Amino acid sequence: MSAPKKRNFQIEAFKHRVVVDPKYAEKTWKILEHAIHEIYNHNASGLSFEELYRNAYNMVLHKYGEKLYAGLVMTMTSHLKEIAKSIEAAQGALFLEELNRKWTEHNKALQMIRDILMYMDRTFIPSTHKTPVHELGLNLWRDNIIHYSKIQTRLQDTLLELVQQERTGEVINRGLMRNIIKMLMDLCGSVYQENFEKPFLEVSADFYRGESQQFIECCDCGDYLKKAEKRLNEEIERVSQYMDIKSEGKITNVVEKELIESHMHRLVHMDNSGLVNMLVDDKYDDLGRMYSLFRRVPDGLSLIRDVMTSHIREIGKQLVTDPEKLKDPVDFVQRLLDEKDKHDKIISLAFNNDKTFQNALNSSFEYFINLNPRSPEFISLFVDDKLRKGLKGVSEEDVELVLDKVMMLFRYLQEKDVFEKYYKQHLAKRLLSGKTVSDDAERSLIVKLKTECGYQFTSKLEGMFTDMKTSQDTMQGFYAAMGADVADGPTLTVQVLTTGSWPTQSSSTCNLPPEILGVCEKFRTYYLGTHTGRRLSWQTNMGTADLKAMFGKGQKHELNVSTYQMCILMLFNNADGLSYREIEQATEIPAADLKRCLQSLACVRGKNVLRKEPMSKEIAEDDAFFFNDNFQSKFYKVKIGTVVAQKESEPEKQETRQRVEEDRKPQIEAAIVRIMKARRVLDHNNIVAEVTKQLQSRFLPNPVVIKKRIESLIEREFLERDKVDRKLYRYLA
Amino acid sequence: MGIQKDRVRLNVGGRIFETTATTLAIAGRNSFFGAMFDDDWNLQPGTATDHLIDRNPDCFAVLLDLLRTGELYIPSNIPEKLLYREALFYGLLDHVRSAKWGPFDGNRLRLSRSMTGRAPGDGTAIRAGPDGGCCVAHGSMVHVYDWMLDEHPAINLDYQRVNDAGWIDSDSIVISACERLGRGDGGMGLFSASTGELRYKFNVTHDDQVKSYTAGALSFSSDDKIFSSCKGRSNEYGIGVWDQTTGKQIDFFYEPPGWSLGDADKLQWLHGTNCLLVATLFPRKDNCYISLLDFREKKMVWSWSDIGAPVYDERLLDERRVRDAIAMEDTSSICVVNEYEDLGFMDLRSTGGSVRWSSRSRLMKGKMPDEPCYPKLALHEGQLFSSMNDSISVFCGPDWVLTSRLRRSYGGSICDFSIGGDRLFALHSEENVFDIWETPPPPIM
Repeated sequence: MSAPKKRNFQIEAFKHRVVVDPKYAEKTWKILEHAIHEIYNHNASGLSFEELYRNAYNMVLHKYGEKLYAGLVMTMTSHLKEIAKSIEAAQGALFLEELNRKWTEHNKALQMIRDILMYMDRTFIPSTHKTPVHELGLNLWRDNIIHYSKIQTRLQDTLLELVQQERTGEVINRGLMRNIIKMLMDLCGSVYQENFEKPFLEVSADFYRGESQQFIECCDCGDYLKKAEKRLNEEIERVSQYMDIKSEGKITNVVEKELIESHMHRLVHMDNSGLVNMLVDDKYDDLGRMYSLFRRVPDGLSLIRDVMTSHIREIGKQLVTDPEKLKDPVDFVQRLLDEKDKHDKIISLAFNNDKTFQNALNSSFEYFINLNPRSPEFISLFVDDKLRKGLKGVSEEDVELVLDKVMMLFRYLQEKDVFEKYYKQHLAKRLLSGKTVSDDAERSLIVKLKTECGYQFTSKLEGMFTDMKTSQDTMQGFYAAMGADVADGPTLTVQVLTTGSWPTQSSSTCNLPPEILGVCEKFRTYYLGTHTGRRLSWQTNMGTADLKAMFGKGQKHELNVSTYQMCILMLFNNADGLSYREIEQATEIPAADLKRCLQSLACVRGKNVLRKEPMSKEIAEDDAFFFNDNFQSKFYKVKIGTVVAQKESEPEKQETRQRVEEDRKPQIEAAIVRIMKARRVLDHNNIVAEVTKQLQSRFLPNPVVIKKRIESLIEREFLERDKVDRKLYRYLA
Repeated sequence: MGIQKDRVRLNVGGRIFETTATTLAIAGRNSFFGAMFDDDWNLQPGTATDHLIDRNPDCFAVLLDLLRTGELYIPSNIPEKLLYREALFYGLLDHVRSAKWGPFDGNRLRLSRSMTGRAPGDGTAIRAGPDGGCCVAHGSMVHVYDWMLDEHPAINLDYQRVNDAGWIDSDSIVISACERLGRGDGGMGLFSASTGELRYKFNVTHDDQVKSYTAGALSFSSDDKIFSSCKGRSNEYGIGVWDQTTGKQIDFFYEPPGWSLGDADKLQWLHGTNCLLVATLFPRKDNCYISLLDFREKKMVWSWSDIGAPVYDERLLDERRVRDAIAMEDTSSICVVNEYEDLGFMDLRSTGGSVRWSSRSRLMKGKMPDEPCYPKLALHEGQLFSSMNDSISVFCGPDWVLTSRLRRSYGGSICDFSIGGDRLFALHSEENVFDIWETPPPPIM
């Protein structure tokens, strides 16, 4: 090597770059391009998958991915342009058929192309952020077929035409529709929305706008609703058959807007067939339909609710203010219950038991029941009637049902304390006269009142029941203790009533006959002997007595009378005739009661055990009374009722009212003190608001009364006015 | 006859393989075999002719076995990379990936490989990707490796120091970096893991003005939010929140006075309580601040700091100094660690409590290496990991008993580690080396 020799030795440049023959890429692509042609021409059976896959792989591997991709786009585009022409050429009904067929073929071809280009899809496409093959195929289809000017509008019009045909009752090829619309949905971007859904909704809106005009002119409300419901269901069914499920909400919105919302006021107020007529005629089906349709549109239900509310208030107001209907309290309450039942049934059958409707019904009742200040009294009278006789032979469940209904009415009352007053009176009468039919029913009602209004509300009522029970025991004890001592005298039954629990009137004791007085005194001694520190006073105005009497022709009768009447009749044991004044003097019965008693003893046919002179209906102070020897009756037992107005008379009503107002005073004061104790300082308006809130479960206090109570409390130094701000009150501990 | 129809003869690179269509179907429709035997291609199995496949037969044998058994066994004569390439051809790479190592279990980890990087200097952070890849941040560079441990083009931030990195998905990495004075650069960006390109830059706006900022620690929530601690030029100290899909800033939690958020070393999103744990630790600040933020109510719902903690003995100070913290939602507690790898616990249900230390530091004292790395904590499916010097300890059970220790002598102390994609990556500080720990596939029986 040291001796340089001249040699023709040329060192060639070292080729360190290995370049794939550029023709190789072209050749490979030709193979693949050919394959794509064959696939589109349904001639793929001669192709070797392995070879094609390997070729595509090699192109990507040797950095010809770009060429492969560009070639794919070009080849596929040219095929799609061909396809577009053949679809365009299809005539009439064949248009959709051809489109569908080509779409199916394209999908299959696309799948196969993707198979051979799988390696490119996996490596080249993600790293270059290109569109994957499948998506590319769909995009090219969209751009070359669907958005091809000669296909786009034709396709849209054809689809809408078919929908229209179906709406008019023709049968169309739903399968084909489904395929075509599915295709639009498969394409990326908003193809379905732009090329079908949007125009479809517009056309539908026009169609239903026209149709609803037609319907509203010629149909009554019920028929219109039936037609609207049918249309709505048709559209829902159509969507489920061949559209995107997301379109359902949109098309139903259109139908709802055009068929219901635009006409709902007219429908509800339609003459002779609108909502009020449906309510009056109990058209459950129509009402249910109206409810389910109107609930779909904004303010639909509130419209129904408002119209229903004003209707109920109107009829309710008529009911409670009609003087004819006020004559019979039981019937009055029964009518209220019937009205409630009727609307309850409508709400449950037609209005899906909608809570807001129930609330509307309740508030309506609350509104009109309190329009009549006598409602509390009447409801109590209704209960009284039911508990006296109405529940005979009625099963326990039915009794509960009636009581529950009464409780419902009770809940509507604002002046619950007035009801309590009356209820107490009526209960007292029932208990003392032994007229209650069912002890269970009585107690059940008390329990209900207790759960509704709390322990305080019923504690006195329960006290009354306790008194009754204790009295029974006391009487047994009395007779056991006295034994023979009282055996000869008249049988005495004493009910010991706790003061305060009972609605006692001003005690106006009459003079009892000496026979009775003896036993009474024995009882008093016995009772006070067992209960020290108590005081007994006789409530002669509340008792009853059974008398045995013999009349002129020897016939015997047993007379069932009040204590007052007994006192009067006993006078006739010693005299055949007495003047009014003599009777009054002897018995000291208050004049009003005395007149009433005498009236029932002397003036009622069939019960006239006394004879009055002169004969007249009214009792005058200079009348005279005689034992009626000629008294006759078919019955052995004769019940002589006192002529009592069942309903309260006007002065009695005033009195009850007065007492209620009196009772409210301490309650209002207690509430004020409670509030002020907690808040220390409060202004007038807030006190009124809080007091009203605290007491509303019992009654609605009058702000004027509250103000008076506050003033009274200030006088008694529970509160004081703030020295700076006169509107503020301070609590004085 | 049914068996006959199922039979497939393949000629792979000259070697005949007999198998069944059923076995090949396991590859799935999106694979070479899935397409090949699709009806469209008219290649019915059972036809007499062999199907020629012009590929390497040795690799095919391995992959066929993978389809047959679901297990991957690579003979020593086949380079892994060659096998991966063949798998990619057939569309079986995902099968290989999932058979290569088993589901993560801290107590069964084996060292799989050690990778030596080229970057100089200490590593800042290592982050495991969701599919077994990882990225390593060094200074202003982030090196990205896929699960085959092939390195991809590195992400270069042009001399801005990288503070933290994190994977949004297997191809997207978020990187937070220091602000560069006067350039308006820095902050936080989204990069492609495969190409290293910047895809998106996240902005901080304050009073409708875009501000330049330094982004610190990162955390991601399951509902597609990104959290980062931020330091701006003036007032923009705090935690910024961005939407992963839109990239827009959607919230900013300003740092309250006397507290630290913008300098935070660690953020952790707590899925169950919808809160973010923010921890700022020594030595970044003189004191340690740990807090839980509720972004819905804009409230700091829990906080702890060692400010004003009584110091009885100067020597004890280091022992009480928190070096890392992690919230454990299952037990409603926060675990902290000091520089001797003592674990401490705090109750998340009450604020203002103190740390219950479970001291093990007696063992460690006097054995500290010259260049210690501060301990780091990680939590994975009920297992607690803590790095200390050149080893990682695994703690399990309700009392956090030490159950395993991963140690490798080469590379010096572990400065960071990360768990993800069923792998654990540990980055060493002295040599530029990181280890990959995997759980072997489950035993045969």
